[in-house]
Amino acid sequence: MSVSRVLRNGTVVLLALLWLVPTWLLVVNALVPSGSYTGSPHWLPSSFGLFDNMHQAWDKAQLGPAMGNSLLYAVVSALAAVVLASGAAFATIVMQVKRQALWFWLIYSGTLLPLQVFIRPLFLSYAKSSLYDTQIGLVLIYTAIAVPFAFFVMRNYALTLPREVVEAARMDGASWWRLFWQIHVPLSRSAMIAVFVFQFVAVWNDLMFGITLTTSRNIRPVMAALADLQGNYTNVGPPVVLAGALLVSLPTLVLFFSAQRFFISSLKIHR
Amino acid sequence: MSTFSTERQTPTTRGGLPAAPSGGAQRPPVPHTWRKRRERLTAGTFMAPAVLLVAAFLLAPFVWTIYRSFFSDSRTTPFSWFDNYSLFASDPALARSIQNTLMWVVGTVVLPFVLGLAIAVLTNATRWSRLARLCVVLPYALSGSAVAVVWNFMLTTDGAVNQVLTNLHLDSLAQGWLLTWPGNTIVMILANAWQATGVAVILFLVGLQSIPPETVEAGALDGAGSWQQFRHIILPQLRPVSIIVIGMSLVNGLKSFDLIWVLTQGGPGRATETLAVSMYNETFLELRPGAGAAIAVVLTVIVLAASWLYLRRQLDVKGE
Repeated sequence: MSVSRVLRNGTVVLLALLWLVPTWLLVVNALVPSGSYTGSPHWLPSSFGLFDNMHQAWDKAQLGPAMGNSLLYAVVSALAAVVLASGAAFATIVMQVKRQALWFWLIYSGTLLPLQVFIRPLFLSYAKSSLYDTQIGLVLIYTAIAVPFAFFVMRNYALTLPREVVEAARMDGASWWRLFWQIHVPLSRSAMIAVFVFQFVAVWNDLMFGITLTTSRNIRPVMAALADLQGNYTNVGPPVVLAGALLVSLPTLVLFFSAQRFFISSLKIHR
Repeated sequence: MSTFSTERQTPTTRGGLPAAPSGGAQRPPVPHTWRKRRERLTAGTFMAPAVLLVAAFLLAPFVWTIYRSFFSDSRTTPFSWFDNYSLFASDPALARSIQNTLMWVVGTVVLPFVLGLAIAVLTNATRWSRLARLCVVLPYALSGSAVAVVWNFMLTTDGAVNQVLTNLHLDSLAQGWLLTWPGNTIVMILANAWQATGVAVILFLVGLQSIPPETVEAGALDGAGSWQQFRHIILPQLRPVSIIVIGMSLVNGLKSFDLIWVLTQGGPGRATETLAVSMYNETFLELRPGAGAAIAVVLTVIVLAASWLYLRRQLDVKGE
């Protein structure tokens, strides 16, 4: 009994330490003032240069506009996707449109396909229609890419809502629009928040559309800027690159830990 | 258990709607059809934005990519049947890419599954091990690009891994981790597992917490050891969650792009490309969009096959 317990706890501690090493090195070396970095990784924090490193990363990769852009893209796209997907879910489940299976697969199929299959046609048509390298262009594609999964979750959630409320409201003569905004949306609020958080993180973390559909430094999203910073690794030095990575990860880290409940519920609905 | 189903919306619930044919039979016919038409219009406005957006930005490009994959990349781009697809047999870079993709699939399915299950089971019981669990879940909150930055720092020639090896007097093992195949693909798969295990842990914990404790207690009363309890009582009840974890990891492994792109861009040469990266390289760097389209289509077929296995199993689980 006690031997197995020691073995068990030992495994847990070992795995945790193993996992912690890269995280630890990320934080410690992001703290090292970039001027005093000697070429080999530090294992213990000595002096505090984090804010200066972040400031350098902010300047050199223009993280400021990139983070602003990504915030815009993530908030607007996630919000738009949640609303559009809820509307579609409302129409299929509550209003019971005909050919539900067709509509379901038409929308849902978007989340099964790999992004690579969209990218070049989008690139070409964006270039032609002057959506290329614009904020609206990115918002549109991020919303489109978020809708299918959001629809899937919202639809599954709508299936669990009690029908009696809707039927009673219809009997009382409430219009579908009123039903949607005043009954359906408040009832599905928790699922909507979960989807919003999930899609916010997905958009914030996107790299591929960022490097394909933008070139300007004041349009590109944050992960494209980080990839650019990483490309200058030898010039700017490891502490600055690591501080930059830490900086751009802060929003999702904060969101992850403050909204863990919603993360988990979004994962649960995934089934 | 699972809420996923397309067959769920059976006509039985339809009778309850005021607008349904059965309810409308007594009403005068003219307002009825008018009302119905208006209702369809309203439903259309609810559906249209989502449907149009997906159709225009996802499905149309998808169809166009399939179409493009049948045209060659020479200057006049003539129709060339399956020539672009035959590149998989003739181009060594693509053969390597397929090999790497297979390695990624195996690595991203096995590692997060085994490690995630182990960590979830080992940290489920005790309070202090929450902290240990946090260490494992933390990287899940980082993006693929940020994970690449962290692991570049670990793996570069003067990085942390080589530093540790040198300090342990294992200089012979210190090497350029990202420079030689297959080592570079393997270390990237490990880096990916470092990030992806967190979500597996979370999912397995949710699964473990839904197991009724009586079943485990009954096993303990019958004298089952902890391994036997795990093997015969806990593991079978984790089957639905396991399928989700495997399905998610499988599809994520096939689609992995960010980590490879930021760490090696598929190089050196084209040694660390997976299909997702090869498609990007062929299309935008080698400027062979036909070949890129063919790779995208092949990748789609594989992803759809994997998703189908996963979704079909999900339907099965629900049906049980």
